[in-house]
Amino acid sequence: MNPKLINVLKRNAVGYLFLSPWLLGLIGLSALPILASLYFSFTRYDMLTAPDWIGLDNYREMLLNDQKWRNSLKVTLIYVLLGVPLQLVFALSIALMLNRGIRGLRIYRAIYYVPSLFGGSVAVALLWRQLFGGEGLVNLLLRQIGLPGHNWIASPDTALYTLIVLKIWQFGAPMVIFLAALKQVPTELYEASRIDGAGRWKQFWRITLPLITPIVFFNVVMQTIQAFQAFTPAYIVSRGTGGPLDSTLFYTLYLYQKGFTHFQMGYAASMAWVLLIVIAFVTAMLFLSARKWVYYQE
Amino acid sequence: MRTRLKAFAIILLSAVFVLGLAACGGGKSNGNGESAGGSGNTAQSGDSGSGETVEIRFTWWGDTARNDLYNAIVDRFEEEYPHIKVKREFGGWADYWDRLATQSAGGNAPDVVSMHQFYVADYAARGALLDLQTVIDSGELDVSLFPEAALDSGRVNGTLVMIPKGITMPGWVYHTATLDKLGIAYPDINWTYDDLIAISRQVVEKSGGTMWGTPDMGGGQLQPNFRYFVRQNGEDLYTEDGKLGFSRDTLVKWWSMWKQMRDEKLIPDAATSAEYDGVPLEQNLFVTGKVALYQIPANQIYLYEQQFPEGEIHMVRMPSLPGGQNGEYLEGAYLSITAQSKHPKEAALFINFFVNSERSLELFKVEQGSPANTDMAEFVKPLLAAPQARAVDFIQTVIPYATSAAYAPAGATEVEAAFKDNATAIAFGQKTVEQAADDFLAAANRILGQ
Amino acid sequence: MQSILASWKNSKWPTHLLIIAGAFIMIYPLFWMISASFKPNTEIFRNTSLIPETFTLENYRYGWKGLSGVTFGHFFLNTFMLVAACIVGNILSCSMAAYAFARLEFALRRVWFALMLVTMMLPFHVTIIPQYIMFNQLDMINTYWPLILPKYFAAEGFFVFLMVQFIRSIPRELDEAVKIDGGGPFMLYGYLIMPLALPAIITTTIFTFIWTWNDFFAQMLYISELKLYTVSLGLRMFLDAMGQNQWGAMFAMSTLSLIPLFVIFVFFQRYLIEGIATGSLKG
Repeated sequence: MNPKLINVLKRNAVGYLFLSPWLLGLIGLSALPILASLYFSFTRYDMLTAPDWIGLDNYREMLLNDQKWRNSLKVTLIYVLLGVPLQLVFALSIALMLNRGIRGLRIYRAIYYVPSLFGGSVAVALLWRQLFGGEGLVNLLLRQIGLPGHNWIASPDTALYTLIVLKIWQFGAPMVIFLAALKQVPTELYEASRIDGAGRWKQFWRITLPLITPIVFFNVVMQTIQAFQAFTPAYIVSRGTGGPLDSTLFYTLYLYQKGFTHFQMGYAASMAWVLLIVIAFVTAMLFLSARKWVYYQE
Repeated sequence: MRTRLKAFAIILLSAVFVLGLAACGGGKSNGNGESAGGSGNTAQSGDSGSGETVEIRFTWWGDTARNDLYNAIVDRFEEEYPHIKVKREFGGWADYWDRLATQSAGGNAPDVVSMHQFYVADYAARGALLDLQTVIDSGELDVSLFPEAALDSGRVNGTLVMIPKGITMPGWVYHTATLDKLGIAYPDINWTYDDLIAISRQVVEKSGGTMWGTPDMGGGQLQPNFRYFVRQNGEDLYTEDGKLGFSRDTLVKWWSMWKQMRDEKLIPDAATSAEYDGVPLEQNLFVTGKVALYQIPANQIYLYEQQFPEGEIHMVRMPSLPGGQNGEYLEGAYLSITAQSKHPKEAALFINFFVNSERSLELFKVEQGSPANTDMAEFVKPLLAAPQARAVDFIQTVIPYATSAAYAPAGATEVEAAFKDNATAIAFGQKTVEQAADDFLAAANRILGQ
Repeated sequence: MQSILASWKNSKWPTHLLIIAGAFIMIYPLFWMISASFKPNTEIFRNTSLIPETFTLENYRYGWKGLSGVTFGHFFLNTFMLVAACIVGNILSCSMAAYAFARLEFALRRVWFALMLVTMMLPFHVTIIPQYIMFNQLDMINTYWPLILPKYFAAEGFFVFLMVQFIRSIPRELDEAVKIDGGGPFMLYGYLIMPLALPAIITTTIFTFIWTWNDFFAQMLYISELKLYTVSLGLRMFLDAMGQNQWGAMFAMSTLSLIPLFVIFVFFQRYLIEGIATGSLKG
């Protein structure tokens, strides 16, 4: 046999060997539920009786008639477009600050992670009301300087933005990943640049940032995918109703209500597949753009 | 570095091993200490007495106190029926329904499930619940001491699908100490909507604007507030054949009344209402002393009384409409057997024990309402604390007014969402009452038309 | 010591002040929760100040006793085992897949990689029902298997992708060194890539720990027997939208449940932050 061919086969065998856990999981665990949900999306399925094939009706209803669906998409897009970049800039700045060799910073690092430990818990919901509620701290400060108050978390025009603030506040996960990435930047490079007389700012743009672009990219992609599926934050201001006036009705929250509250799992499934297409499109764009700005050591 | 990593992996791998052992062990040991064995094998031990142990699953929603209580009742049942083992599953209200839907979809529904008016139509209409007449006919379930009205409240489209654990009635409450402090006379049990508005005015005035009269009850759930109003107008939420049962006129009257109160600042502004929408009991407008009147089901009186250091919680009827009909209908918390149950007879024996035996009611008392079995209602009376006794008195006073009420058709939860959305839009000034009424009717007819 | 003084002189104190002020905003809810855990139930929402009017340990006693003789300690043990199993699974399976994606050449690689990303884009609410049906068929309801098994098959694309990015940041010249020494792809994985990707592995450990610890939806659906309850299920037991909430006990047990999270974080972030890069690059 052709030794070249043998080589190719061998390479493939090794590749698939390492990939096998994931591949087996995909076939054995994930594929079935995913395909089932695709099938449901073409049916009327109330979970208690068998699914009933209705073709594209769910999709047609959603895209043409469902005002709430349109609104939930809008809410989610605002959340993604504002929340993700702001959170990442914040996370990176804090990571850079905490990456300096100042003593005691180890404790700060842990403290700065605390908000992310809480997730969407009751304590955070309470804090947010104490800050942004009608009688909250923000209003107290505003009144002190003679400005009118506003019920930030319960007014349709501002409720979503308090959740974007919440997202920024819970920057722990991307921060930790940035920290791990910063530690992979070889210190020799900094020493070399110091000899060149480069300032901190220049160092950041010339050395640090290019070297961590793979991780910046990772955080952008993952935070975007996750933010599109934001669900728990809605429990902070509206206890899962999506109010006031659907201003915090996230896409997946509406999907959940459709599926579990209104027993329309088929419709929920079709919503999920539309979301998948939207996210896939955005992710593909990110990957295309990555060719321009992400540097691998290869 | 490598060794550190290896050590790390080894520790964790051994943890998995421990886990595997624990899981196997846990799987084999069954439930709580049930091995009380050959105690009183009672008369009713039933037909499946072949000595074979049958396992059924019972699920409920509740707080920690209720979990303790129901576990104790189940323990007593297992003592009495040693051949039946009951696996217990419980959770908070929201989790409960998510899990039940998933289990039902997965073909793994528990045998005995707790049911509620909000959801019964969704389950019954889709054939998920057993026709209980079958187990009544075969003798496992005895309902001879249940008033017809109580049983009727468990029927959906003429089929008996659930049995009341407890009957409750909604009403409005006030806190005696608060009204005393404000110097406002207590409302009469047969008060009217005009009284509600008048007292609210007094509250706002005498508290110097630090309190509102009541929360905004114009939107939110269709039951009980709006439903009482439409019934008082001689209508109902839905017709027997599952269409909308009330007129645009009634809806406009209802929302106009609340709009007037909002404009007069007798109830909180839209944003404040939204801020308090759905908050837990301990944080709501009434408990935190921001409103003087509140609407709750009678069985919760004692929960509210515990929140106040002094004074009592008293309840009056839902406000009435002069010249109108009575709005009352029976409500409660129920037990059903799922159609998937492989042991409907044992499940029925369990329900029978739960609602008919002194051993059970001695613990249950009025946990989710006054027992529907009339003998049992008398039996628990002397066991009650003052606020619970007040609740039972209230329920028994208003039950005679109750008339039967049709259950919501499938899709009702979406109609309710549309109702809430439009009411909120009025509150925030985004729609006029008339616009909102038109939008709601269009949405509701579209949902129910399908 | 001198360096600290010097650093303060180098006008770093504004930075410090900023960090401290920031830290307070970050940690306030923690303080609030700890203080609430020492207040009687009826005081928690009436007195929102950090100092309790009445100091009580009752919440801890009541919370710890759990339900029907199953204490919160039991829930902690369950959760530790569950978390440990998940961590091992994620590290092994995700690192293998990531190594394949980042360093090996094989047919359809890009397709599989894209597919892996796509599996993360579908909201789990619509796959949970078929998944439940599947695990019910496998007779795994009321066991930890539905929660653990996916972790051994790299179902969490987040970590696969994370490790891919880290591995791709490792210079290829280092690979060559191993290859010249006669090492094959297995040597490369075990002796070069894994140690060098340690920050990613530590990150995976931390996140798996925290996310599994806090997750409730899947746990709530799959676990209904009290003896198998996890901490997050135990905490939810104290709350019921239709009844009375044991806020005090909930906050008390939440406080306790944050301790392991905090410890894990502090412990592992040392490895994450300090000395790894330099240490291993030279090794």
